[in-house]
Amino acid sequence: MTWGPMYMYYRCEACGKRFKYAVDLIPVFGDRFGDCPACHKPGVFVKDGARTPDDADYEEVDE
Amino acid sequence: MAKTIITVAPNGAWPKKENNPNVPITPQEIVHDVYDCWQAGAAIAHLHMRDDQGFGTMSTDKFRETVALLRKQHPDCDIILNLTTSGDLNATDETRMAHLEEIRPEMGSYDCGSMNWLNTSLFINHPDFLERLGKNMQAWGIKPEIEAFDPGMIANAAYYLKKGVLKAPLHFQFCMGCANGIPGNMKSLLFMKDTMDSLCPGSTWSCFGVGHSAMEMTYGAVALGGHIRVGMEDNVMYAKGQLAESNRQLVERAARVIREYGNTVATPDEAREILGLAR
Ligand SMILES: [Zn+2]
Repeated sequence: MTWGPMYMYYRCEACGKRFKYAVDLIPVFGDRFGDCPACHKPGVFVKDGARTPDDADYEEVDE
Repeated sequence: MAKTIITVAPNGAWPKKENNPNVPITPQEIVHDVYDCWQAGAAIAHLHMRDDQGFGTMSTDKFRETVALLRKQHPDCDIILNLTTSGDLNATDETRMAHLEEIRPEMGSYDCGSMNWLNTSLFINHPDFLERLGKNMQAWGIKPEIEAFDPGMIANAAYYLKKGVLKAPLHFQFCMGCANGIPGNMKSLLFMKDTMDSLCPGSTWSCFGVGHSAMEMTYGAVALGGHIRVGMEDNVMYAKGQLAESNRQLVERAARVIREYGNTVATPDEAREILGLAR
């Protein structure tokens, strides 16, 4: 039984962007985990979870 | 040419129509997808059931209804059925096994340890449950698909092998990239395989990655001599920002990867031979 990828969801206070990071990429991003992909500033944590209903509203940040 | 087995896990217990409208939920939808994926090259179907509200259930009635429907509508379909034993976090040990005893599928999942579930709950596989399940599956002639979410679960399988709860040769499913499990990347996959080779030599294995690691794990499995699992249980997306159109679409891509590599896609009977299943 699996439950799909688990994300941490953020929004950027500077540009308003909503984005998410898969938790298993914490070691890949290190201190940059949670940063806005546009502004490169730390985002504000919104929630975490897998397959949340508004998942598609958040841009996935990957390598 | 080496043969690679494709397992399709069409629905799992969690994704709903809100996540992807193409996830099969009802027995009829599940049967449709199983047949469709079998035609595209899947040799094994790992099945979960949903209740009438769409939530994961271990209802024997739903398993019975679905398997009967598949056999009635598609008598030509010789796909290997692998029924879950972990389809509802609140199920009792009894309801997690009752459908296996009645239906006697060729395979059933065996989650070889407990873990935190999405940092909010518990996915419990108590030692008492695992001992009973392993012995029952031997008695009922059902091959366990040992789901390992981290290397410790492989070590646990080695313990059960020595204890006679499990019987060699084992078949593992490496579940990569799940929260609280081992991350989905090549280094981790190699470590899982090395751990299996040293602790349970002679075992066969398959893997999948949830989310971004799906393709990396697919290619890794083929290159390292493993087998592949795909399906909307693990990934409702086909690619970043693109929902899967069907389970068949995911199976077809896995088949293309296998063929491009130079392997062949194992038929159900070839999979039976690889896994040592007596039909
Ligand atoms: Zn920003």
